[in-house]
Amino acid sequence: MVDFSVWDVVRNLLLAARWTVALSLIAFVGGGLVGLILLCVRIAKLPGAERLVGAYVQIFQGTPLLMQLFLAYFGLALFGWNISAWTAASVALTLYASAFLTEIWRGCVAAIPRGQWEAAQSLGLPFRDQLRDIIFPQALKIAVPPTVGFLVQVIKGTALASVIGFVELTKAGTMITNATFRPFIVFSCVALMYFALCFPISAWARALERKLNVHR
Amino acid sequence: MSTANSFIEIVGVRKSFGDNEVLKGIDLSIAKGEVIALIGKSGSGKSTLLRCINGLETHNAGTIHVDGKEVRANDAAAIRDLRQSVGMIFQNFNLFPHLTAAKNIMLAPMRVKKTAPQVLEAQAKKLLERVGLGEKFDAYPDQLSGGQQQRIAIARALAMAPQVLLCDEITSALDPELVGEVLRVVESLAKDGMTLLMVTHEMAFAKRVANRVIFMHAGRIHEHGTPAEIFGSPRTPELQQFLSGLGD
Repeated sequence: MVDFSVWDVVRNLLLAARWTVALSLIAFVGGGLVGLILLCVRIAKLPGAERLVGAYVQIFQGTPLLMQLFLAYFGLALFGWNISAWTAASVALTLYASAFLTEIWRGCVAAIPRGQWEAAQSLGLPFRDQLRDIIFPQALKIAVPPTVGFLVQVIKGTALASVIGFVELTKAGTMITNATFRPFIVFSCVALMYFALCFPISAWARALERKLNVHR
Repeated sequence: MSTANSFIEIVGVRKSFGDNEVLKGIDLSIAKGEVIALIGKSGSGKSTLLRCINGLETHNAGTIHVDGKEVRANDAAAIRDLRQSVGMIFQNFNLFPHLTAAKNIMLAPMRVKKTAPQVLEAQAKKLLERVGLGEKFDAYPDQLSGGQQQRIAIARALAMAPQVLLCDEITSALDPELVGEVLRVVESLAKDGMTLLMVTHEMAFAKRVANRVIFMHAGRIHEHGTPAEIFGSPRTPELQQFLSGLGD
């Protein structure tokens, strides 16, 4: 049997952590874009949009992320689309993030007093400009802390992609454990790496919250 | 009450919120340059009437014409056109808190009229001076008193060069000592010939500045006339009661 030093373990985990970061970024950026589109559709009060987007949000909030990953991976295969674990994980996490982000942001937009909309409307601003110049800049200030907080959830959520065989941090940890039979050391390293990713982001979210509270 | 040269023509306007009918058939016509004070108890429908005129509320029946064009709240492009000639000032100022005083004023002309930046700045300076706040160009709303904020809001409405200003209890949220500075600005607008339609509780101001006073009660125009008629010899018991209740 090959002997693994702790450094070997850490090195291999670090290599796999790149995929955790990549998947998180894809999910977050993709989810942010889709979430923003859903948000606009919703606040534009397009007919039926509120109910459709509401149902979409409920589906993703009301089912485990694990099931969403299974459905993306095995479900799409049923339709003859043979997709990689990488694609399935990206799609599932993007949709998952979009549902949560659109709901978080809807709350932020709803927190803007109605008088701001009315003042913007009374000035004859087109809807597009009402959003761009008045509503979004103010909603953004409220949205930053919960949005960054959700980023942490997404990073930890990528761990579930290991069950469909996507080799990220957690999957790499499992594979290394199978080779080394030293689960405690290996998973301690895995946990530390998640912490090293998440803690600075949480700290940043708290700092932003303080800063935004001071300056309104 | 219809006149040939009326600028705002309101005929049979009704408005309900659910089962609650707040406007029960309003007929009113307003000529250019007129200053109208709308008075009455809260819940009498005066604010709702004002908000129907610029389409913030959709009336359920009747018609409103401004400058010959019908107000239809569900026609987005038409309502934007309308709002360029109808300015509105709110009880709670509704300044944009993330923009400076000058940017509050410049935003709408910049976006809607595509005015050039240099022209905009000069215009903003002039408007700020007009409301007595020339030195507040770069101030944010939360650095200003309520009276100053409301004067900025007036300047913001004026930036679109409206033909009529709707004022919805614009001094009600102000400390008593700040009311005067806002009313002086409004009075100067009236002197310059601006058409003004104001919901107000400032009876002394209405008496001095308004051409006509409209007393609303239970969703109807209950009594209307010159300030002298309304305040000097109220005919209906409701108006008498309303006016005597103000004295305390």
